[in-house]
Amino acid sequence: MNEEEIINALKERFGDKIIDCKTPMRRRVFVEVSKECYKDVVKFLLQDLDMKFVEAITGTDVNDHLEVIAHIGYGISVSVKTKVPKDDPVIDSICDIARGAELYEREAHDLLGIVFKGNPNLKRFILPEDWPEGVYPLRKDYEAKHPKPLR
Amino acid sequence: MSFYIPIGPQHPVHPEPLLMKFKVEGEQVIDVEINVSYTHRGIEKGLEYRDYMKGIFLAERICGICNAAHTLCYVQNIEQLLNKEVPPRAKYLRLIVEELSRIHSHLLWLGLAAHQIGFETLFMYVWRDRERVLDLLEMITGNRVVTSYNTIGGVRRDITPEMEQKIRKGLDYLEKRTKYFKKVVMEEPTVLVRTQNVGILKPREAIELFAVGPVLRASSIKHDVRADDPYAAHDEVPFNVITYDTCDVYARILVRIDEVLECINMIRYSLDHLPSGKYRIRLPVVIKPPPGESVSRVEAPRGDLLHYVKSDGSDKPYRYKVRTPTLANIPSTARMLTSRGDYIVYIADIPIIFGSVDPCLCCTGRVMFVDVEKGKSWVWTYNELVKYSRERFERHD
Repeated sequence: MNEEEIINALKERFGDKIIDCKTPMRRRVFVEVSKECYKDVVKFLLQDLDMKFVEAITGTDVNDHLEVIAHIGYGISVSVKTKVPKDDPVIDSICDIARGAELYEREAHDLLGIVFKGNPNLKRFILPEDWPEGVYPLRKDYEAKHPKPLR
Repeated sequence: MSFYIPIGPQHPVHPEPLLMKFKVEGEQVIDVEINVSYTHRGIEKGLEYRDYMKGIFLAERICGICNAAHTLCYVQNIEQLLNKEVPPRAKYLRLIVEELSRIHSHLLWLGLAAHQIGFETLFMYVWRDRERVLDLLEMITGNRVVTSYNTIGGVRRDITPEMEQKIRKGLDYLEKRTKYFKKVVMEEPTVLVRTQNVGILKPREAIELFAVGPVLRASSIKHDVRADDPYAAHDEVPFNVITYDTCDVYARILVRIDEVLECINMIRYSLDHLPSGKYRIRLPVVIKPPPGESVSRVEAPRGDLLHYVKSDGSDKPYRYKVRTPTLANIPSTARMLTSRGDYIVYIADIPIIFGSVDPCLCCTGRVMFVDVEKGKSWVWTYNELVKYSRERFERHD
């Protein structure tokens, strides 16, 4: 299955819920979807198109919203991107269809405060025990104490 | 009657900062909770404050042993953003250094595995021979371990014909020794008894928990980024993806040893077919890629490594994301360490099972919690743990 076929299959299945599709280079597909069908798209890719692996979940702070990107791939890497508002960063968890993705969701929760609804274990994960609650280091309003290299 | 045994964060079994809390009944491990939150260094945030050239050096320090894979993944990402193609010679040189560091990593791991099952002679042998790879890396790159070889637009140094001869000589020696190690592993009862049918991870479980790298291949799943998503010169250099189907620690040892032999053949092929020409294209010191995003994947010695970058057009990355192979392997490790059905994990097997995934916590720094009995939670704070251990101690006193 090549990049074109993946995009066509997605468009056929989800229609106008797919906001944007692009293939900047070979074996890379970037898809932007609405928040509601994020989980369905991931499920479709994993089960119907047999992509097998969720490789990572990236969160990014972009002005007034947070981006959640699930990188799914085997040979071709498909990045499913969706946007959640910053004041209510809740999104459906994909734990029940992809068990191994639990850690990735907890990582994004720790670093950016994205709440994955349905993740059974959304607890402190990579930050130290004494890190204050509600401080998310990868958000842009968090300034690192020693941001610059010493020299 | 079940007990808890904490191993780590400082423990002779595994000298990396990690806490494994085992729930045991007699000699059997029935549950494990892995806590890896001791080493979060904020590298992803740090990369947002550095320009693209300085980022290479920080990316290199994500992991000491897989530094070649991390820099390769980083520079590929930036090149994809800039839409620049590196010269063919640079691609081959990158492959040579990447495969040399894979040999280095796998031999280091083989020594540690031997150490963990108490086979110190093999440990000493392997680590002595590993010095030969480090010598080759030092000759090519100038450094023994942290190579600083890849850069945006190519590599930093070229290989001369004299170096090529030395590399070939070194490879002959390594091939001879690796074949000998394979013979030792396959015939020596110490190794067989300690590793066969230990640390089972079934193919179905490996896919379900998204295992990567040699762990996945030892569970007979044929997946290797070098073959499925070729980068550098991997689309031109032939090699075999090694798989074994016994799904245990023994299979993981053999996968790695066979991969070393494959690496040696790949380097020989690359030296035979090394294209002439430039090894680097010069780019401005201040790099400003156009806004966009890119995903780069590399098969690091420990498995599939993924970097993601988002650029906003300035000279620094807007967001840089790293997903290291050890993080991906933690759920599988917890599964291997848990007794289920006929498969029983004994306390004495903990070091080699945990060691068999080749964990590298400096690049991970994350937590795992496994819940066997539903609705029951065993996450304790440090104080609760101390209190519990004191109570136990008093009761038994």
